[in-house]
Amino acid sequence: MSYDEKTNGQMDAIIARYPRSRSAIMPMLHLIQSRDGFVTPTGIEFISEKLGLTTAEVYAVATFYSQYKRKPVGEYHVGVCTNTLCAVMGGDAIFAGLKDHLGVGNDEVTNDGKISVEHIECNAACDYAPVVMVNWEFFDNQTVESAKTLVDDLRSGKNPAPTRGANKVSTFKETSELLAGFNDGHAEEGVQAGPATLLGLKIAKEMGAQL
Amino acid sequence: MTTVDSGRTESAVTPITPIAPVEQINLIIDGFEVTVPKGTLVIRAAEQLGIQIPRFCDHPLLAPVGACRQCLVDIEINGRAFPKPQASCTIPVENGMIVKTQLTSEVAQKAQEGVMELLLVNHPLDCPVCDKGGECPLQNQAMSTGQSESRFEGTKRKFEKPVNISSQVLLDRERCILCARCTRFSEEIAGDAFISLNERGALQQVGIYEKDPFESYFSGNTVQICPVGALTGSAYRFRSRPFDLVSTPSVCEHCASGCSLRTDVRRNKTLRRLAGDDSNVNEEWNCDKGRWAFQYTMAKDRIANPLIRENGQLREASWPEALAAAAAGLKDKRTGVLVGGRSTVEDAYGYAKFARVALNTNDIDFRSRPHSQEETDFLAAHVVGSKVNYQDIDTADHVVLVGFEPEEESPIIFLRIRKQVQKRALEVTAVTPYLSRGFKKLNAKAVLTTPGQEATALNGLSLTSKSIIISGERLAELAGGLSAVVKLANKSGAKIAWVPRRAGERGAIEVGAIGNLLPGGRPVSDATARVDLAAAWGVDSLPAEIGKNADQILAAANAGQLEALVIGGVDPFDMQQPPVNALEKTFIVSLEMRPSAITEFADVIFPIAAVTEKSGSFMSWAGTSRSFEKAAPDAEHRSDAYVLSILSDAMGTPINLTGSKAAAKEIAAVGSWDGARATFTATQAKNLHEGVILATWRHLLDNGSLQANEPNLAGTARKNLARVSAKFANELGVKNGDLVTVSTDRGSLALPIEVSEILDGVIWLPRNGVGAESLRILGALNGDGVRVRKGI
Repeated sequence: MSYDEKTNGQMDAIIARYPRSRSAIMPMLHLIQSRDGFVTPTGIEFISEKLGLTTAEVYAVATFYSQYKRKPVGEYHVGVCTNTLCAVMGGDAIFAGLKDHLGVGNDEVTNDGKISVEHIECNAACDYAPVVMVNWEFFDNQTVESAKTLVDDLRSGKNPAPTRGANKVSTFKETSELLAGFNDGHAEEGVQAGPATLLGLKIAKEMGAQL
Repeated sequence: MTTVDSGRTESAVTPITPIAPVEQINLIIDGFEVTVPKGTLVIRAAEQLGIQIPRFCDHPLLAPVGACRQCLVDIEINGRAFPKPQASCTIPVENGMIVKTQLTSEVAQKAQEGVMELLLVNHPLDCPVCDKGGECPLQNQAMSTGQSESRFEGTKRKFEKPVNISSQVLLDRERCILCARCTRFSEEIAGDAFISLNERGALQQVGIYEKDPFESYFSGNTVQICPVGALTGSAYRFRSRPFDLVSTPSVCEHCASGCSLRTDVRRNKTLRRLAGDDSNVNEEWNCDKGRWAFQYTMAKDRIANPLIRENGQLREASWPEALAAAAAGLKDKRTGVLVGGRSTVEDAYGYAKFARVALNTNDIDFRSRPHSQEETDFLAAHVVGSKVNYQDIDTADHVVLVGFEPEEESPIIFLRIRKQVQKRALEVTAVTPYLSRGFKKLNAKAVLTTPGQEATALNGLSLTSKSIIISGERLAELAGGLSAVVKLANKSGAKIAWVPRRAGERGAIEVGAIGNLLPGGRPVSDATARVDLAAAWGVDSLPAEIGKNADQILAAANAGQLEALVIGGVDPFDMQQPPVNALEKTFIVSLEMRPSAITEFADVIFPIAAVTEKSGSFMSWAGTSRSFEKAAPDAEHRSDAYVLSILSDAMGTPINLTGSKAAAKEIAAVGSWDGARATFTATQAKNLHEGVILATWRHLLDNGSLQANEPNLAGTARKNLARVSAKFANELGVKNGDLVTVSTDRGSLALPIEVSEILDGVIWLPRNGVGAESLRILGALNGDGVRVRKGI
């Protein structure tokens, strides 16, 4: 039960961020995913020892949040929003289309290990519905066809750019390290609030609202 | 009367712990005014009026959580109403509060019915096959608060069942209502967060981490406080319906904590035991040994009739024949008496009186374990009559533990100390060679001490008159240890508490089952005390010579100075030197439940009653007695005191104890000695042994004879490991899991090691683990030198 020196150092750095060490559990779980690809038993036991918690306490957190995976996901984990708005705007069709296209079920991985799909809850991008996320980067206003092209591009190594945010899609492991709180240098890139988000503001200004 | 919890009933209103200074709050509940201390929860204030608000997650000894939502009530404060019903188990009272429960508010009633309907959506309603059926808060409150028809038409959630979360606790997840009582107990009270609420939403469930089972010494309490049938005990599962059981309040016979228990019997068979309710001692908890180690009382090999040895072979005999044989064998013989530490107060009194009146000797000792003259003096000077108790722990400023690991050796003391550590950061110091997990859970400051050097460690401590020094029976093995305790107490004014491991030891001291004390703490050396007791007993005189201790009795038997022994409840392998020669040479009368190492040598054996088969009492470490009644109504075995009494009749020197009740009455009549106590002379520490020094104590669950025939319980015992420091492991060239062999001139024992927080040059071994009975195998005590090598 051990990780390399760099990982150990990063774990210590995470713990040092908090006044009470057990607060570090969530970023530590992300860091485990960045190394192992998912939350492994080794990772749970490592964190429990590091934080002086029981394995059951760590396991409880790891199983509560759906972003912690308990089996390997694809290098690119594709989340299709199927909450109400995205669903009626085409999310359900995209999800069905991708499963069919890739030959996998919900939360399953393609044989080459490249892509996994999951239906996800609202990601606060209803104004760009239907939304697909690849390793938590936004791909807005998708259709069944655009989503199929997206996963095909990802599989063939083309690295399509997200609609907003970072200029590239990182791998699941790279993203997990970012989520553990280690900057990947892409923070300043890309569009943050897109036109649909700002539309209301624009109309309000046109109508002479005092803002 | 509706049962709210197993062992707790609606009418038993939970006492409110006063908080000083006690500001009183006035409020109105269902139109009745009530005044309660500030900080009281609404649900508890309602109890004061006899108003029962339905609840599941609420437990008076656990922190409020508001998880189940069953206790919703309407609340308004000074004319401002909460917009929706509130959980009365999480809201403290306020002045001017007007509370309307389901009794006076339709909104509250409807809210409670709605919650109940939702709780039952996924509940299987398998009450007819559920252990909890008949005493189930969910069942009862579904009747009182629920609706007779469910509107749910879907398919109920199903889980694989049951899950063994340990060998003794089973989990049926579909019955669970997610109140979190079990997980909160384990974390808050026991400090063993081995179970947790896992997953989320509709799949949320109680569980363990796959590789780490729920092996807490207190796990049984979760079965008892589970308000549904989700957690059940392996031993009791599918064995009975609660309404077929006859319950008898009882007392735990295992350790000296003094727990109140309840014994549930069906057709003379004990089917389960539950923690009783005594806020001064065990609150509402007990340990798993007290809960589950009772199968020995129903062992198939129980001795049914008296046995006498004829031509080397034991044969059954009638009582008159056996009594005559025993009386003939003991008459006018120089005899010693060994009581063991497991007798009830009344039985120990029987042995004490039998020794003096029928055998005319003070050669009696209850210590079937390593002991010393220093301890004998200490018991007479500082233990007999002492009243240091649980409440002193509650108010102590500092607790020092020496020769004592409370979680392993007296678990309810452990819980009590831990409660104060959690509540007010009570300072705990452990004088120990090895900082165990139990000490860590007490946040104890470790004074790591090589066994034998306790005096040095204790001399370095500074205490006050509000401090308590708790020493265990193991300290007797370490010369000078008890003397250092006395010295520290004299210097600081701190209180002394002494905690034996066995339930009967403290009572045995008080009733004189030891060579230097007569009943009531009367010193044998005091002529007035002897005369006083002789008068009470109606005998001419009592023997004046101070009695031998157990080791001396056995040595005298071996040397031919004693010709006979009366022995009850002794395992000779608990002594450092198993007294085989002494046993072979003497005429032995044995009082036993089951065949033992003693009965192999005995000339006459009398069967005696187990605790469930007689009445009696046990005295806890704190000097408080708790009496119990016979739980198995048709049991025919008789108490030790009664058997000794009819034996004394046969010898012509009657002790006139017709049973436990008569003995209890006589103990009260004889009373305690108010004259001078014995004085204590300090003993010097010895020089350290050569070689590796042994540290050893018993795990709570081990090869003890009262844990026989209970594999589910045994399955949760700690692993048998030898503990060494990292430095020492390195010198030996071993890492965790590697075997080392520990040897003495008597024998050797190979165990896997675990690197632990222990002094270099010390090795810790379990004293009586199954297959790792280090005392029996090595004959080595704390502070003795042993040899350690790598491998087998």
